Amino acid sequence: MRTALIPAVLLASASLWGASGPQLVTMPGKSPLVTFRFVFLTGSASDPAGKEGAAALTAAMMAEAGTRDMTYKQIVDALFPMAASVSRQVDKEMITFSGTTHVDNLQAYYKIFRDMLLSPGWRKEDFERLRDDAVNYLKVTLRGNNDEELGKEVLYTRIYAGHPYGHENTGTIASLQKMTIADLQAFYRANFTRSNLIIGLAGGYPDSFPKQVVSDFSKLPAGPPKAVRLPEPRPPKGVRVTIVEKDTRSVAYSIGFPISVKRGDPDYPALLVAQSYLGQHRMSGGLLFERMRQARGLNYGDYAYIEYFPRGMFQFEPDPNLARRQQIFQIWIRPVEPANAHFALRLALYQLDKFIKEGISEEDFERTRTFLTKYVNLLMKTKNAELGYAIDSRFYGIGDYATYVKTSLAKLTREDVNRAIRKHLRTTDLDIVAVAKDAAGLKKQLVSGEPSPVTYVSPKPKEILEEDKIVERWKIDVRPEAVTIIPVEQVF
Amino acid sequence: MVPAIALVLLGCVAAFSAPAAQKVFPYEYDQHDFPNGLRLITIPTDYPNVVSLYIVVQAGSRNEVEPGKSGFAHLFEHMMFRGTPTYPPAKYEATLQKAGAASNAYTTDDHTAYHTTFSKEDLETILGMEADRFQNLSYSEEDFKTETRAVLGEYNKNSANPASKLYEVLRDTAFDRHTYKHTTMGFLKDIEDMPNQYEYSRLFFDRYYRPEYTTTILAGDVNPATARALVEKYWGAWKRGSYRPEIPAEPAQQGPRKNHIQWPTETLPWIAIAHRGPAYSDQQKDQPALDLISFLGFSESSDLYQKLVIQEQKVDVFGADTPDRVDPYLFTVLARVKKPADLDSVRDDILTTLAEFKDKPVDPERLDKVKKHLRYSFALAMNNSEAIASIVARYVALRRTPETINRLYAVYDSITPEDIQAVAKKYFNENNRTIVTLTGGNAQ
Repeated sequence: MRTALIPAVLLASASLWGASGPQLVTMPGKSPLVTFRFVFLTGSASDPAGKEGAAALTAAMMAEAGTRDMTYKQIVDALFPMAASVSRQVDKEMITFSGTTHVDNLQAYYKIFRDMLLSPGWRKEDFERLRDDAVNYLKVTLRGNNDEELGKEVLYTRIYAGHPYGHENTGTIASLQKMTIADLQAFYRANFTRSNLIIGLAGGYPDSFPKQVVSDFSKLPAGPPKAVRLPEPRPPKGVRVTIVEKDTRSVAYSIGFPISVKRGDPDYPALLVAQSYLGQHRMSGGLLFERMRQARGLNYGDYAYIEYFPRGMFQFEPDPNLARRQQIFQIWIRPVEPANAHFALRLALYQLDKFIKEGISEEDFERTRTFLTKYVNLLMKTKNAELGYAIDSRFYGIGDYATYVKTSLAKLTREDVNRAIRKHLRTTDLDIVAVAKDAAGLKKQLVSGEPSPVTYVSPKPKEILEEDKIVERWKIDVRPEAVTIIPVEQVF
Repeated sequence: MVPAIALVLLGCVAAFSAPAAQKVFPYEYDQHDFPNGLRLITIPTDYPNVVSLYIVVQAGSRNEVEPGKSGFAHLFEHMMFRGTPTYPPAKYEATLQKAGAASNAYTTDDHTAYHTTFSKEDLETILGMEADRFQNLSYSEEDFKTETRAVLGEYNKNSANPASKLYEVLRDTAFDRHTYKHTTMGFLKDIEDMPNQYEYSRLFFDRYYRPEYTTTILAGDVNPATARALVEKYWGAWKRGSYRPEIPAEPAQQGPRKNHIQWPTETLPWIAIAHRGPAYSDQQKDQPALDLISFLGFSESSDLYQKLVIQEQKVDVFGADTPDRVDPYLFTVLARVKKPADLDSVRDDILTTLAEFKDKPVDPERLDKVKKHLRYSFALAMNNSEAIASIVARYVALRRTPETINRLYAVYDSITPEDIQAVAKKYFNENNRTIVTLTGGNAQ
């Protein structure tokens, strides 16, 4: 909740900034590197209707364009010898600017970083380049090059249709084509306020540096913190299927539904254990991975999530500062051969159903809890990540994330997990998104409910073959009217 | 304690213009060779509690010398997770989980690396378990066949990206005999045939998963003496092998080559312009000079990037690279062009820029900025123990010691504008060139 954000004063002199922000998170140290992580509590959920993508394009105009005093070329030239840059990340409720510099270059780097955030140049040529980039990201990168991320993002647009989370963060091609610099300037004025800002600094900066930064950024307009009102998402009755049709070798799936659990909520630790046991991201120990890839060779991997995790095919740990007030439970099935597509979907839902009904064993519970208790340390291996997690903890109104996870897991019982999965997880009233070439064929299979036997390249143990007999007939109640086929050219 | 990184960075700033720069790899490390040929490199860092283990096997897709066997080094990386009599897969996974470990592996042209990051108290457990799978890997033909399908799944998920296809065709076109002709994933026809190659997979393990091909790197909260003792205990009995592959040498290219890919769906056009380059070296100037050229001519701060991406906005992805390889590889400039009609002019601009490096020496001040950029980038990247182990692994795959990093950066420092010009003259010739283009949908 936004209201849980308490302006924390970590410096001796508090008078420079009050309840109207900016807030400050500092991690001073002896490292010669200084890390900046500035998070604005705004994002694509604040995009005005018809201006989808305004938040993302505004952030791009700040981080990858000129300032009032410098062209983008001058900025690039100045940063190049420092090997420094300014990165941006845009999500529904957070926009993050981050960078690291050697302390030798601190003032030179900071001046550029500050001016990019406080005095964007709004040049037409920068705008046109960055808008092209945004359109091409949707058209070429998402639609064209990455079926897995495409499926995941379409899943979110389906679950949150008509909701402030309902569009891809980059926007839509139609809205981007109509966007003007004036739209972005209006978004900037309304949302990049000091009360929306959390300043994160880590490393070997001089003692006086945070005060200088806070003073500079207090020049942002005050602007009351205003959280966008988020209605409860309305999941479908039964199973809703969206098939994105495109010329591709295989079938990629994302499955999900909203959950009412986020960090800080009583059932978060229990669902953290559940998702790790079911499918810890990019690790080979999860149940789905073991049953689908290891035992059957159906694909490259299968994972489960209770928090938004974009770009998962490129990285092992999640990025911080993707905090949201509403989350979904999600299963990611990596591309499967078209002949096994129906079976793979059945197997994933069968495993989920079995897990909900049978729960986690004491041994698996203890093992998963031990794993998470140690693994949480690895999430914060860099100062940049540590700052990010600290800022997220402000958002969720919890203390230090590692301590929060360790303390709450220590108190958790197997029964807590089994109760939580029965309460929050399900195999109906959910969305399935498939990216497939033969969309009509896949729809026909799913609607028919006919058995979908699988064939293997090698003999399989009896236990697998017996399970297959159940799985190949596993009922997914898909009504024809609940299936939508969308040509890839029409998504986003 | 002030991290060692501070000393080197402070040193670097003063040393950028001086010929004898401070060492760019600042960590004290212990390098030890065991009698069986295994090498251990232990790097204590200032990051507490966590240890990162990288096991580097100097065998990658370069070692796939027999026809029809492309992709095997990568397949073998998958097979290494199929268990031993002592640690069947479920027990292996359970042990990793109890250690809170993050574990994975990757394969490249020249090496395969297995990496695990974990809490320091689990050092002995992890080292013992990893030693077991390197010595006692055991999998059935059924498991082998199942795993080949996971590899096909990996090919499938990559195949949606036109850039994957571009690299596949570029290598196939630029090389005739050397195994760099195929990518690490391998040719699709070979991947499809993998289920029939169980015996070959055993042979691959027997040839290359040997101590003399392997270097173990430990970075983090770790004591070198303890590490040596544990590695001796668990890896000491590993038997040395005898196999030496004969990697076919690539004959000199005799003329320009080109190829085109028609991508079935709408996408933006790509162009790759490659010239045959040298192998990695920390002694000769050729490869380091080409590294510098990739920044001078094609990085974000270069004139051509500014022209094509920022001003004219004809291109939205742009850069050059000259990857470090054991054998001579390619210097490649890559561009994604927004309109098919601009492909030719972008090609001409790239060729003009390459020719300029031959025609006149570069501005010494700009060369210094690139050298400074490289040093700061390197130092900024080493921001945790896993990153340090991962960076060292890449170099260990080439020269089996972190010292090669310091030697390489010393070569960078020694390179003059005249050296750049000489290297450009040597490599940027038409007879040495391969151009591959890709267009989508109806564009030709």
